[in-house]
Amino acid sequence: MAYEVVKTRKPLILIILPIVSVLVFLLAWEISVAPRGVEDWRIPSTLLTKPSDVLRLAIDKMSNPNPDGATLMVHLWVSMQEAFLGYLLALLVGLPLGLLMGWFSTIRGLARPIFELIRPIPPIAWIPLTIFWFGIGLGGKVFIIWISGIVPCVINAYTGVRMSNPVLIQMSRTYGASDWQIFTTICVPSALPMVFGALQIALAYCWVTLVGAELLASNQGLGYLITMGRNLGRTDIVILGMISVGVAGAMIGMIIDRVESKLLAGIRR
Amino acid sequence: MNTNTTDISNEVILPVVKGKQPLTYRGVIGNEYVLNGISLILFFSLWHWAAASHIFGHSSALATPFEVIERLGGLFSSTLAGLTIWGHIWASMKRVLIGFVLAVLAGVPLGLLMALNPLINAVIKPIFDIFKTMPPLAWISVAILWFGVQDAPKIFIIFIGSFVPALMNAYKSVVLIEPELYDVVRIMGGNRWDEIRLVSIPGSMPAISAGLQIAMSSAWTCVLAAELVSSRSGLGYVIIQGMKISDPALVIGGMMVIAAVAYTFSWSMEWLDHKLCPWRRDIEGL
Repeated sequence: MAYEVVKTRKPLILIILPIVSVLVFLLAWEISVAPRGVEDWRIPSTLLTKPSDVLRLAIDKMSNPNPDGATLMVHLWVSMQEAFLGYLLALLVGLPLGLLMGWFSTIRGLARPIFELIRPIPPIAWIPLTIFWFGIGLGGKVFIIWISGIVPCVINAYTGVRMSNPVLIQMSRTYGASDWQIFTTICVPSALPMVFGALQIALAYCWVTLVGAELLASNQGLGYLITMGRNLGRTDIVILGMISVGVAGAMIGMIIDRVESKLLAGIRR
Repeated sequence: MNTNTTDISNEVILPVVKGKQPLTYRGVIGNEYVLNGISLILFFSLWHWAAASHIFGHSSALATPFEVIERLGGLFSSTLAGLTIWGHIWASMKRVLIGFVLAVLAGVPLGLLMALNPLINAVIKPIFDIFKTMPPLAWISVAILWFGVQDAPKIFIIFIGSFVPALMNAYKSVVLIEPELYDVVRIMGGNRWDEIRLVSIPGSMPAISAGLQIAMSSAWTCVLAAELVSSRSGLGYVIIQGMKISDPALVIGGMMVIAAVAYTFSWSMEWLDHKLCPWRRDIEGL
């Protein structure tokens, strides 16, 4: 064998330091925040909450719907529903559109100018118009999330098709393949890695936009939890909401990573 | 991609000589520019029809393109909340620029340091990973609690929104550099500092500049969200004001201005990208 697999050991300090760093961070946070009603050199509890209090509140919120009207799990479930509905719709519309735009010049010519008109508008800017159209229910939020997810889908699918090897296309032309055959047998498979990249990017976009959509107009969901916390002056609820959004987002990201590495074990470039 | 050359293999690029095409029905319909025109005309007439016939049931849901243009034209001379549209553009732009520049000044050097020094990386990376997962918009409530309602909370959110991609890309960029380049420097007798100066920093430029583009679009999303939640000026304020007074022409006009400004910014970021890494000019789609 020309290569030998060499196992290198990480130095001990590089294993310990990350753990120490997180612990010191949590400890510093815990120490520097004053308990409720106490005023001294520490940060007052109206601005920040101890991590231990946040943890206690999180356990309490699992079963207690007060003061914002729903338990943590209900908020999470509502948010997930909105995010995934918007995400799936974005995939269903965006990926085929991007793939077709990449190969068929008629569709490209028709769809491109409208897409280019809509693309530079940040999805958040659609919120007022969406409220006119759909009200503050599920539909409006799904629409905003759909808009934010569809842009990376179209761009990635389009780029993926455009990057397919011209030699393959010309060879199949030589052998008499039709446009549609070339599209399905060469362009779509060569676009797959980019398409899977889009799955991840779009999900991240959807999750970010979800919080924005819920901050403004909502009656349930994690973003609503954060807004309610601020309106009630309960910093602990705000921090809990932020952490829940972060944890849920990280978990979704991890699942997508897992699925992607399974599915793309062979074709990842 | 250059239109008058065709890639016939991986190595050879031959120019294609196109003679004058006869004017046929298929040729006109197949022309992309003609299709672009058709599509735009269709889009705007559909929009006009939808607005004129109150497709959403009430008149305050959609304005015709003409009403939007008229309303937008009016904003250049008259004022909204004491500012003309230029004033609102400048208010948003100022926040974006301050937050973005601060985030880049902090994020890029920190990312490079983390990539070059494993000790700093071991300390900062886990904490950064915790903060990275929280979307910047989730910080809006905390920012308002901490900094009140002036410019400071908006700049803080923009800072967070653009800090993460700026740092992430600077950090990842160093990993992507070909190790052979380091070997060359070492063979020529360079020390660690030479490696950093001659390979790491220029080699990481493309990824850093890609990170800056992401950071810029994230910054625009953040400033809009912050202004929608609480503000007295800025483009986000314009559209939320349009919503409050049920004026769809104002909302759509505001969205158009936002799109134009965001487009200008992303265009200038691309220009900056060409300046920072001129060797990358022809790579498409990355």
